[in-house]
Amino acid sequence: MTIDVPALLVGAVLLAGLYATMSFGLALIYGVMKIVNLAHAGIMMWGAYATFVFIVNWGGNPFLAPLIIVPLFFVLGIFMQRFIVRRVMYAPPIASLLLLFGVWLIMQNIAYLAFSGDTRAITTAYTLMTFRMAGIAVSFNRLIVFCVGILALFALQQFLNHTYMGKAIRATAQDGDASKLVGINTERVMEIAFGLGIALASLAGSLMALIFAFDPDFGRPHLLKSFCIVVLGGVGSFVGVALGSLFLAISEALSVLWIMPAMQDFVSFALLVIVLIVMPGGMLGLLEKFEKN
Amino acid sequence: MGVLIRGEDVCRYFGGLAAVNHVSFEVNRGEIFGLIGPNGAGKTTLFRCITGVYQATSGRILFNEKDITRLMPHRICVMGVTNTHQVVKPFMDMTVLDNVRVGAFFGRGWVSKEVKDATKEAMRVLEFTGLAPRAGSLARNLTLPDRKRLEVARALATRPELLLLDEVVAGLNPTETDMMIALIRRLRESGITIIMVEHVMRAVLGVSDRVMVLSFGEKIAEGTPKEVYTDPEVIEAYLGKSYAAPQDQGNSAINR
Amino acid sequence: MQVKQALRSWKPWVGLAFLVFLLWVPASEIAGGYLQTLCFLTFLYVTLSTAWNILGGYAGQTSFGHATFYGLGAYTTTILVLRGVPPLMTMPLAGIIAALYALMWGYPCLRLRGQYFAIATIGVGEATRLLMLNLDDLIKDSELLKGFLQEGVLTGGATGLMLPTPEDIKSYAVGFYYGAMGLMFAALLISWWVKNSKFGLGLFAINMDIDAAETIGVNTVYYKNLALMLSAFMVGICGSVYAQYMFYIDPQTVFGFPMSIAMVLMPTIGGIGTLAGPVLGAVVYIVVQDRILTANLEWGAFKLSLSSLHLLLYGGLLVLIILFEPKGITGLQRRLARWWKKAGTRVTEKRTA
Repeated sequence: MTIDVPALLVGAVLLAGLYATMSFGLALIYGVMKIVNLAHAGIMMWGAYATFVFIVNWGGNPFLAPLIIVPLFFVLGIFMQRFIVRRVMYAPPIASLLLLFGVWLIMQNIAYLAFSGDTRAITTAYTLMTFRMAGIAVSFNRLIVFCVGILALFALQQFLNHTYMGKAIRATAQDGDASKLVGINTERVMEIAFGLGIALASLAGSLMALIFAFDPDFGRPHLLKSFCIVVLGGVGSFVGVALGSLFLAISEALSVLWIMPAMQDFVSFALLVIVLIVMPGGMLGLLEKFEKN
Repeated sequence: MGVLIRGEDVCRYFGGLAAVNHVSFEVNRGEIFGLIGPNGAGKTTLFRCITGVYQATSGRILFNEKDITRLMPHRICVMGVTNTHQVVKPFMDMTVLDNVRVGAFFGRGWVSKEVKDATKEAMRVLEFTGLAPRAGSLARNLTLPDRKRLEVARALATRPELLLLDEVVAGLNPTETDMMIALIRRLRESGITIIMVEHVMRAVLGVSDRVMVLSFGEKIAEGTPKEVYTDPEVIEAYLGKSYAAPQDQGNSAINR
Repeated sequence: MQVKQALRSWKPWVGLAFLVFLLWVPASEIAGGYLQTLCFLTFLYVTLSTAWNILGGYAGQTSFGHATFYGLGAYTTTILVLRGVPPLMTMPLAGIIAALYALMWGYPCLRLRGQYFAIATIGVGEATRLLMLNLDDLIKDSELLKGFLQEGVLTGGATGLMLPTPEDIKSYAVGFYYGAMGLMFAALLISWWVKNSKFGLGLFAINMDIDAAETIGVNTVYYKNLALMLSAFMVGICGSVYAQYMFYIDPQTVFGFPMSIAMVLMPTIGGIGTLAGPVLGAVVYIVVQDRILTANLEWGAFKLSLSSLHLLLYGGLLVLIILFEPKGITGLQRRLARWWKKAGTRVTEKRTA
C-alpha cells in the first residue's frame, strides 16, 4: 500500500487548524485562572452533539451551526464559572481538577441519556466532496473546518490584542493581583475568559463532528491531545499553540508510515507524557534555552 | 573557632540578571552572622543557593569544608544546614507536635525510626521554644508569631549546626520581636551558628557578631554592626546619596 | 487498664460481630451465594481504594491512571497461567511487575507538580491501554519478540484472554472469598502502619508543603516513588486476584478509564487521606453499583433504568463533595460529631443556668 505523503501532510496541516482551535480554549482558561479544565472534553463532546441535533434533527444549515452553538456555550461557560468553578479558585489545584472531572462525568451521562452510546456521524452534502489543489486530493470538509478554525483564532487574537477586555484578560493571566490594583475587575475577566474557553471548545467539537464520528466518550483522546499541544506550545502563546498543533498533527500523520493506524492515538499520549517530563516550558521555552547558549 | 561555612565567588543568574554576583563570605562557628541589604539585593537568593533550593550558577559553597553547591536540599539538611522561610510554610493540617516531629525524624543525626524517640525530641524542642502548650493545635490555627516560632522549632528539631533565619521577625510587633531575639540568643548559646537575613535593624544589628551587606547582588560591606551602619556606601544603598556624608546619625536603630 | 476501658466501649464488639458475620457468609449461602460474590468484590475494592489512598491521600499525588497497575497485574497472572505457571505463584510477580512499571514512568513524572502529574497519569493510562490492545499485532512481525506469542496470542487484543475454570467452582470461590478478605486486612494493616510511621509522616509533609518538606530533610523524590510503587504493587495483586476469579479479562475492563475513575472516586467519597475513608468509599461504591444502579424507577409512564445514571451519580457526588465537604464522608462525620458536641454543651449550659 503506497501512502501519499504530500496528501498526508496537507491533511495534517488542515487538522492542525482544528487542533489549535481545540487547544486554545484550554490554554486560555489555564493561562488566566491556572485551572486545568477537564470538562473541556465534555464540552467538545456536547458541541459535537449540539451540531448533530442542529443539522440532522432540525435540518439546519451546516454553516449556521457554529454561529448558533458557540454563543450558547459562551453563556454556559460564564454560568459554570460563576456558580461552580469560582468556589474552588483559591483551593489547591487538585480540587478544581476533581470538580471539573465530576462535571465531565455528568456531561457524559447526560449525553448517554439523550443520545445513547451509539456512535454518530454527520453527513452533509459536503462530506464526501473533495477537490484537487496542486494535484493533491483535499477533502472539502476538512478545508472548511480548517478555515473556520483559523478564522475563529484570528478573531480571538484580534480581540485579545485590541479590545479592553482582551487586554484585561492578558493582564490577569500575567498577574492577577496587579490587575486588580490597576482597576481591572478580575472576577468579570475570569468569567469572560472561561466563557471564551468553553465557547472555543464547543466550536472545536462542532467542527470535529463534521469530520469524525463521535460518541459520548469521544472527548477523552482529544482532551489529551489538547494537553499535549498546550504543554508543547507553552501556555499563553498563540504561536506556541499553533506550532504545537502543527507538530502533533504532523507527527500523528507521519507515524502512520511506521506504526499501525490503531496506534496513532498512542503517539499523542506518549508524546504528552514525554513532553511533560522533558519540556515543561514548551517548545518555545526550549528554544529560549538554546538562544541563550 | 574555625570557619563553618564559606562561599567562594558565588553567582546566581536568572536569564541575564545576576541576582547574586560574585559574593564571597565566611561565617565562623558559633557566630551570629547578619545578612542585610535593600529589597531585591539577593539575600534570599543567596540563602536558597546555600540550602540547595537553587543551584549557584557558578562559584562554590563549602560547609565544614565539604562542597555542598550541587547537593539536593534534603541532603544539605541532613548534613546540618536548615533554614526557615521568609513566608512561613508550616504543614497546615498537622499539629504543632507533628510539624516538629517531621524535623526530628528527618534531620541530621537522627538514627532512630521510632516514633516515640521523635516525639520526645519534638517535645524537647517545643519546650525550648515555648510552644509546648500549643502542641496539640493544628498549625493552621496558630497566630503569626506562633507560626514563626513553629518554623524555628521545626528547623531546630533537625539538630542543625547552621541555622538560616529568613526575616524571622518580619510582621512581629516590638514585644514579639524581643521574644524572638531572646530565642535567637538562646539558640546561639546552645551551640548553633546562625545566619540571619533581616530588615528590622534593631533585630539584626543588635544581635549579630558580624554583618554582610548586599546590594543589587553584590557585597558592598562587611564587618561589625557598628562598622557597617556607619559605612557611607551602605547608607547610600538604603537611603540614597544625600544621607551618606555625615558619620554620626542618630543611633536609634540599635538597641543593645 | 486501657484494654479494659476499650472493651467497655461498644465499638470493638460491633466490629467483632461484624467480622464473625463476614466469616460466616459463604457457609450461609445467602441469596444463593450472591452476597458472597458481593462481599468478595467489596474486599477487592476496599484494597484498591486503600492502595490508591497511599499515593493520592497520604502523599497527595492524584493519579487518574491507576487502572494501569490493575491491568498489568491481571494480564501478568493470566499470561503466566496460560503458560503453565501455578496461579498463586503469579500473584507476587503481578505486584512486582506493576511496581516496576510504576517506577519506570513514575520517576520522571513525579517530578511534576500536582495537576500536571494527574494529567500525565491520564496519558500513561490511555497509552498503556492502547499498547496492550495492540501488542499482539505489534510484535507478531518482530523476530525477536515473536516467541512470546502462544498460538498467535499474547494479550489477546480486544477479545481478551480466558483462563480455564476449575471443576469445583464453589469451593474455589469460597477460597477466594477468604483470600480476598485476608488481602483486604493486609492492605488495611499496611495502610495503618504507613500512616503511623516515619514514612507516612514524610508523605503527609510532602502532601502539605513539598518545598518545606525537602528543606527539612525529607527525600521527597525517594518517598514519592516509594509510595507510588507500594500503591502499584497492591493494585497489581488485586488485578491478579480479579483475573483468577473472573477467568476472563480484556483491556477495556481492566485497563479502562472507568476503572481509574473508580479508584479515584472511592477514597474521595469516603475521605481522602484517612484510614477509614477508602473503606467507606469502597462500600458506598459497591452498594451503589449493585443496588441502586440495577434498580428501575417507574413513575406512571416514566420509566428510567438507573443503570444508565452511574456517571451522573458519581460526577454529581464528586462535585458535591469538592464544593461542600472535600474530606468526604469522614469529614462529614467529624463535622456532625463536633456539631453534636456543641449542641450537647449548649443543652447542659441551659440546664445549669
